[in-house]
Amino acid sequence: MRRRKLLMGLDGEYMVIGIKDLAKLFAITIVSCCAVFVCSLFLNYNIDVADIKNAITTEQGLVMYDALVASGKVTAGVSGGCLVITTIIMLIFYIKNYIDSHGKELGILKALGWSRLNIAKHFWIFGMSVFAGTLLGYIGAMAYMPIFYEMQNAEELFPQLSPQLHFGLAILLILLPTLFFMLLSVAYAYLKMKNPVLHLLKEVQRVKVKSSKCENEDLPFLADLRKSTVRSRKIVVFFVSFSAFCFSAMTQMSMSMKDLASESFAWMIISIGLILAFMTLLMSLTSVIKANTKTIAMMKVFGYSQKECSHSILNGYRPISYIGFAVGTIYQYVLLRIMVDIVFANLSDMPEYNFDYKALIVSLVAFVLSYELILYCYSKKIGRQSVKSIMLE
Amino acid sequence: MIELKEISKFYGKGGSRFQVLKNLNLKIEDGDFVVILGASGSGKSTLLNVMSGLERPENGQVIYDGADITELSDDKLTAFRKHNIGFIFQQYYLLPNMNVIKNVRMGADLAENKEFEAVIEAVGLKDKRKKYPSELSGGEQQRVSVARALAKKPNVLFLDEPTGALDEETGRQVLDYVCKLQKQYGFTIVMVTHNLNIAEMARTVIKMNSGKISEIYTNETQKTAYGIGW
Ligand SMILES: Nc1ncnc2c1ncn2[C@@H]1O[C@H](COP(=O)(O)OP(=O)(O)OP(=O)(O)O)[C@@H](O)[C@H]1O
Ligand SMILES: [Mg+2]
Repeated sequence: MRRRKLLMGLDGEYMVIGIKDLAKLFAITIVSCCAVFVCSLFLNYNIDVADIKNAITTEQGLVMYDALVASGKVTAGVSGGCLVITTIIMLIFYIKNYIDSHGKELGILKALGWSRLNIAKHFWIFGMSVFAGTLLGYIGAMAYMPIFYEMQNAEELFPQLSPQLHFGLAILLILLPTLFFMLLSVAYAYLKMKNPVLHLLKEVQRVKVKSSKCENEDLPFLADLRKSTVRSRKIVVFFVSFSAFCFSAMTQMSMSMKDLASESFAWMIISIGLILAFMTLLMSLTSVIKANTKTIAMMKVFGYSQKECSHSILNGYRPISYIGFAVGTIYQYVLLRIMVDIVFANLSDMPEYNFDYKALIVSLVAFVLSYELILYCYSKKIGRQSVKSIMLE
Repeated sequence: MIELKEISKFYGKGGSRFQVLKNLNLKIEDGDFVVILGASGSGKSTLLNVMSGLERPENGQVIYDGADITELSDDKLTAFRKHNIGFIFQQYYLLPNMNVIKNVRMGADLAENKEFEAVIEAVGLKDKRKKYPSELSGGEQQRVSVARALAKKPNVLFLDEPTGALDEETGRQVLDYVCKLQKQYGFTIVMVTHNLNIAEMARTVIKMNSGKISEIYTNETQKTAYGIGW
């Protein structure tokens, strides 16, 4: 496996990203596609709608117009405040974690004498998958825009809007993220390889030997394992809790939108929110598994049961993810509350917004189901692989 | 008793599919000390994996005291390994984010063995007990992996090149400890090695050649770890 990954060279050049990893790049594409789709739709609409204010003559039209602009701002603000920021953070951590977990390959290549830049530059491919995603998202939004515009003005209270192409927006939403992630990946890999070869090869995770002085020799293996998996992989811990946060915020927010925006609109946000939420959760749990497959495989060789393995390794992340979920719930409530209060403040018939318990329950159930399902599938998958293939990965 | 009947194992798919183990038949008595010799790539590690239930053969049976383990479900197979098998891998496979003590306890806890400290001392790692695998030399890692398997008090101990990374002195020490424990507990040893001298310690010697057993013989007298050449 390793050999294939390393030798998949073009013109004698070595690549660090192999075929197997393409699936993961695809996850990045989907996530960025969703985020850009929503953003371009809203931003484009808000830009276009600003141009027609002068054309409105009736009193009723103006009121409608103000309400429309306001709700546009809420949704765009939310999609900006939640979808985009979380997507960006998610992608950054995903890429960082990916590069970190391939330290060994980087070490081998560096030991063989490849220059740092020569290896690091291959990670531009992350930028490409972001590009594919943002482009798809933008094109999708463009295609959907006429329908969307018509729906927004179903009652024909003001002149018909036709979608305009805004080049600045396209650049902002397509090229900027692409460049950002491309540079980020290459730069991070480049910096990572500043580490001495041996550190990379031995995958020295700066195990905080000092801080884990609570190292209790009397602690049984399983109990210690539960503690140390969580402790030694802080980044994965953050990743998991953050993805739970995103899941909770995105799903609940999109469901609460139903009361604040038109129905078809809400459904669109809900489905995108769900896709994004599921993808982020999938990405973070993949990192959890990735960080622990070897331990699980070795434990199975020794005869620890499936239950003991998942209990002591995967369960360690469960409390953290629920905390993330709770924080996400509060976050989306506060964010929506503020948005509604500010934006709808000078509107006479301000939409009611209260905490949406139904959304909470639906979101929680969806979360628990996806979480357990993903972990279950992974532990089944580990069980099927041979020890050798796992340990040499 | 371990009995292998008509074991075949294939690797690869389609055109590149080839047979690594070719209809092997073999019987190993309880408490035996078996050494497997053979050229690199002849299928020794694969045989060990199949025998210990880490891999399933495409054909044939692996029978422990009358029960065929190739028919067990994954969970049952895991439970079987828990109670019976100790394994020392050619590549050590230690848990990187656990220190020596915890790595050994991984085996010891399964057998509720409280004397893991004694095992660590016996393989000469007493003053490295708090070190992590990345801070150990290759030979030290190998000894941790030996200690981990021994602490489990298995019925059958499989060793894949357990002295490959050890110098003569440490190698003898580790083998001597393994033999001493075997006398004490009477477990079965199946060891792969490239060191022909070690074969003199065994009761049964199996020679493998490209997936087949080419020769089996029994040593009348077994030498000790300090009695063999190196
Ligand atoms: N997972 C695998 N997929 C494909 N081929 C494999 C796999 N594992 C081993 N092989 C092949 O099977 C053959 C036997 O491998 P095995 O590891 O059993 O050899 P060995 O006798 O232990 O050699 P060594 O003494 O070098 O450790 C080799 O030719 C090897 O290339
Ligand atoms: Mg081998």
